[in-house]
Amino acid sequence: MRVRAFLIVIAGILLLPAWVFAAEEPDGRALYLKYQCWQCHGYEGQGGAAARIASKQYSFEAFARYVRHPNVMPAYPAEILTDADLRRILEFIMTIPDPAPLKDIPLLGND
Amino acid sequence: MNKRQETDGLNRREFLSGAAAAGVAAAGMSSAEKAGAVAAPPSEAQLAMEYEVPEGYSAAEAREYFVGRPGSDFMLDAIKSLGFEYVTTNPGSSFRGLHESIVNYGGNSRPELLTCPHEEQAVAMGHGYAKVAGRPLAMLAHGTVGFQHAAMAVYNAWCDRAPVVILGGNHFDATERRSGVEWAHSAQDAAAVLRDFLKWDDMPQSLQHFAESLVRAYKIAMTPPMGPVAVMLDGHLQEGEAGDRIAEIPKLALPVPPIGDPAAVAEAASWLVDAEAPVIVADRMAHDQTGIDRLVRLAETLQAPVINLRGRLNFPTTHHLSQGRGEISRADVILGLELNDPWSVINSMRDRVHRSPRRTARPGARLISISVGDLFLKSNYQNFQRYFSPDLNIAGDAQATLPALIDAVEQRMSRARRRSNADRERQFRAAYAKRRESAMDAARYAWNASPVSTARLYMELWNQVRDKDWAMVSEDRQQSSWGRRLWPMEKHYQYIGGSGGVGIGYGAPAAVGAALAHRAEGRLAVNVQRDGDMMYVPGAFWTAAHHRIPLLTVTHNNRGYHQEFMHLQRMASRRRRGMDGSALVGNTLDNPAPDLAKIAAGMGCWATGPITQPEDLAPAIKRALDVVTNGEPAFIDVVCQPR
Repeated sequence: MRVRAFLIVIAGILLLPAWVFAAEEPDGRALYLKYQCWQCHGYEGQGGAAARIASKQYSFEAFARYVRHPNVMPAYPAEILTDADLRRILEFIMTIPDPAPLKDIPLLGND
Repeated sequence: MNKRQETDGLNRREFLSGAAAAGVAAAGMSSAEKAGAVAAPPSEAQLAMEYEVPEGYSAAEAREYFVGRPGSDFMLDAIKSLGFEYVTTNPGSSFRGLHESIVNYGGNSRPELLTCPHEEQAVAMGHGYAKVAGRPLAMLAHGTVGFQHAAMAVYNAWCDRAPVVILGGNHFDATERRSGVEWAHSAQDAAAVLRDFLKWDDMPQSLQHFAESLVRAYKIAMTPPMGPVAVMLDGHLQEGEAGDRIAEIPKLALPVPPIGDPAAVAEAASWLVDAEAPVIVADRMAHDQTGIDRLVRLAETLQAPVINLRGRLNFPTTHHLSQGRGEISRADVILGLELNDPWSVINSMRDRVHRSPRRTARPGARLISISVGDLFLKSNYQNFQRYFSPDLNIAGDAQATLPALIDAVEQRMSRARRRSNADRERQFRAAYAKRRESAMDAARYAWNASPVSTARLYMELWNQVRDKDWAMVSEDRQQSSWGRRLWPMEKHYQYIGGSGGVGIGYGAPAAVGAALAHRAEGRLAVNVQRDGDMMYVPGAFWTAAHHRIPLLTVTHNNRGYHQEFMHLQRMASRRRRGMDGSALVGNTLDNPAPDLAKIAAGMGCWATGPITQPEDLAPAIKRALDVVTNGEPAFIDVVCQPR
């Protein structure tokens, strides 16, 4: 009986939606906002005060190298922004969808 | 009756006034003359001869109650002689005499009083107005409390080389002041608070002195390098009798702008023609469309790219020679026209713990400077930037010097050099097309985002103003320069640069002032308004509504002092702490978010917002344009991406 109850609890945990766990561990977008990347790169990575980072391909190594040892932007040392969190930020950036092509944006494509 | 007894029957004011009526107009005299004049009080018969005495009053009584010809009427004559169209003011007792003269003697026309809820606004309106109209308006303020409010805007005008004529009320004679406010609103040297960033100021002691100083001030303000000036208005000169000894108002004769030395200009031409990669950089160069036309001719003659810095629109953004700062690194000869900061054209300074300069120009590149910048400097405020010695430094107004330079360049262009222009033109047309394509491509990103992207904001606006005679009256630097990247700007009035001193609070009132100048030309003024700036002097929108100044304002509302976000993040980085959000503290304009549309509506403007979805922008702009076309200001609050 006790074993059966235990299995029911385990099954219940496994069936919980993913967001219950995600709330424990911020996703990449939340980290992007938390570490203020949006200030210079925009909420969608489109750029602004700094370069566009959306719709670009970065290896984690190259991305981390720049974030740790930047030319212009403030440096984010690992003690502040861990590799794990940085990796999640990169995952978020890489999943920002590409914008529509110019021809599908009349205000831009018909210039 | 001894002399003492003779004067006892008259109060001091009457005594002095009586002396003036006796043929020695105190208002028209120096202090020394005034002092000497206090000797012979006029008789009743003399007073009756000099003044029209209203029925039912004795001459002495009339002198107590009435003024025949106030000094401020003459002051207004002098002001009118200079063609001022407007006087911006926040009313004050120290200039109540002139205020009344403008309204009743002058009929409140040329100049017309424009009511401003803050002196900073009144000066900044003049700043924006001057850059469109090409001439100053007058600003009227208390010399004490008004000047202190005005100081920030005066500094901006100083840094931006914009002429504004400031008139400051004051009560010089301590024995004539009423108790209380008139003492608090008087100073020994009221203009001192502004003097570090005024081109000139004076404290006239007579009406003749006022007339001469006003004309002199106007001339100085309009002589390149232009800038703000101040002339004080003594309360007693304004309110007392002008008398009949006013000589004349001097004629204004603006000097011809200084032109660079012919030999130096010829040498500059040789360098430019012989250069492999000449580049032109222009900052506060073009005073008007003539400046743009001249620069186009020079650039086309050389097929040299032009980098337009932020000061003014010096070159059409649609021209194939309009290029970016990357050209600096390729240049062997750089022609700088009215550069505020030549050092930074050649170098850059990294914002790191140890600040290290780095040359961005290629080794051996030579800089020619044509500028009036060296002709007028002051010491205290450091807006003159880091010292730099150009290889050829020509003192002269760049726009005025361009015809001579163009002639010299054309004379030196060999056939071979002219032939090389075809290749250059091809190269720069390709580069221009690439830049344009790149800008349009960059605008796609976050196109449908909420908050609204700044590129989308500018393109939605552009789509509805493109067929009108439009003029941007705001600076786009804090919006990733999307205005200049996306809008085709060809006319001088379509872009007027920024504040100069980077003092917040310039944007809204300067936009209203610029819109005032555009109103006379029937142009549509468009202001992309920053939220932080708006919170300084939102009363500017009341002035626009009250005086029916048509202006389309669309906010770039990023809910904070965004530049400071980034500065604080950099500081946190250096100290390895707080990079996860401490930059928000002290920098947000949120919780509660100021309801900017309600503020504008409260000022009497048609207003809508906050708009957060990009698809809601176009209908709002359409409605706002209907309002503006009807001659009123309209306001749309748009919550935007940071930059």
